[in-house]
Amino acid sequence: MAKPAVILVGADKGGVGKTTVSRTLLDYFASRKIPTRAFDTECPKGTLKRFHPSITDVVDVTSVPDQMKIFDTVESSNAQVTLIDIRAGLMTPTLQALRDIGFIEMTKRDELTFAVFHILGPSIASLDEIAETSKFLLDARYFLVKNFINNTTFFDWDERTYNSYFNKIPHAVEVVVPKLSEMACEQVELSAVPFATFIADKKANGEPAGNSFVLRGYVRHWLNNVFAEYDRVRLVDIVDAKDPAGKLRGSGKITELSPQRANS
Amino acid sequence: MGPRMSAPSVGSYLASPRPEPSHRGGPAPIYVVCSPNRQVGKTMLARLLTQHYLADARPVAAFDLADEGPGLADFLTRHVTIPNIRDTRGQVRFFDGLIETGHVPKVIDLSHREFANFFTIVDKIGLFEEARRRSIEPLILFLIDPSPVAVKAYGLLRRRFPGTSLLPVRNLTVAKGVPYGAAFPHASTLVVSLEIAVLGPAARAIVERETFSFLDLGDEDSPHSDMSARTRAELETFFRRARFQFREIELSLIREQILTALQ
Repeated sequence: MAKPAVILVGADKGGVGKTTVSRTLLDYFASRKIPTRAFDTECPKGTLKRFHPSITDVVDVTSVPDQMKIFDTVESSNAQVTLIDIRAGLMTPTLQALRDIGFIEMTKRDELTFAVFHILGPSIASLDEIAETSKFLLDARYFLVKNFINNTTFFDWDERTYNSYFNKIPHAVEVVVPKLSEMACEQVELSAVPFATFIADKKANGEPAGNSFVLRGYVRHWLNNVFAEYDRVRLVDIVDAKDPAGKLRGSGKITELSPQRANS
Repeated sequence: MGPRMSAPSVGSYLASPRPEPSHRGGPAPIYVVCSPNRQVGKTMLARLLTQHYLADARPVAAFDLADEGPGLADFLTRHVTIPNIRDTRGQVRFFDGLIETGHVPKVIDLSHREFANFFTIVDKIGLFEEARRRSIEPLILFLIDPSPVAVKAYGLLRRRFPGTSLLPVRNLTVAKGVPYGAAFPHASTLVVSLEIAVLGPAARAIVERETFSFLDLGDEDSPHSDMSARTRAELETFFRRARFQFREIELSLIREQILTALQ
């Protein structure tokens, strides 16, 4: 059994694309056939659950019973990856709670892999978040995500200022999520299915969706670029460290997915 | 002539001036007539191709992706749509429409200025792959000329769309003596070569009139009845020769479809 991995996707700021990045990660692991479960902390209605209902539970990450539901089952779950989409404002408190219960300490003992995807917004406040977040991370893998999906321009980031923050965290890795056509983005939102299912032109129930092939093409092109970025930072390594043959790795590039796979 | 307005309706993409015959055979091809250079005969080839179908009263959808006139829409006003591919909404209307009506041949007259943008979009959205998945054969008809720009663009298209038919077209007015050779190698399973013959000055002057149609050549009451018998004969030969080559393409496509079906 490979070492389980817990991935936290968050930012203290809202509207920076946490759920979008979570969705790409779920699609990525599905494409690599890595069993994954997800927790949506947008309690009670949920946002991630709309797109990946079969593998997502909505939880209140501030409540002890729900924390138990997530973290006490990391090793016993069939899922190799546990992804937690942290709602705005809860990243620092969640990390604090994880430190207090000794969860982060477990990563030092090599019992599991812990990774944080910190979604950065365009404001300088995001850089302050980096310093705040990094205090908790110890041996965790730290990914700083510049999300351009909505054509964000990181307008008030001076390169030197950014580097000064970035260099404080020796293990931090930068990930760039490129822009996606606004119309394509909207259509996937409306369809309420995973990106891969939209590309395969399926509805959530597996029936043909009749989506525009132009928009599907744009989403496929974009998602392949996102996957290439995840490949570049060797994301799959965090879950198959004990799988030397790399058996879990798929071909990567999305062409056409079978409905079954696309709906997974 | 200045910039043209785009025509909006999806329905109008299917130009069919005469009663449609029953559809012959399977999915029809998409012809992309292109070059990165101007004044090499793109619009002439697109006119000939569109009128080749119209001459047989077959449905055809023609698109003018030129941003300056006179373009295809100026010559074939009733049969041509001017799409807008500068925004996603326009791209959805145009490209989705191209593959949804697979039984109607499509002729795209691509301006030199839209060349890079068009093929970048086509590459991103996977138009040619999707077309072939629906058994629609995309054919890139590339007007060759001796410029390094054309040689480079041809090479880029070959590399970027390796499975797509890329046919060099020699317009003898501008590319006489240009060797196909290494610069413009034939990249298609279709065994055809295309040439546009040279027209004499009188015939060319007639053809350049926006009101001129090759379909009117047999019509004594056409507005071009002032042309001499010799010019008329020259134009008839010119059109007949072009149509012969287009029929060769169509036959090659049918042969490919049969071979594919037999496999």
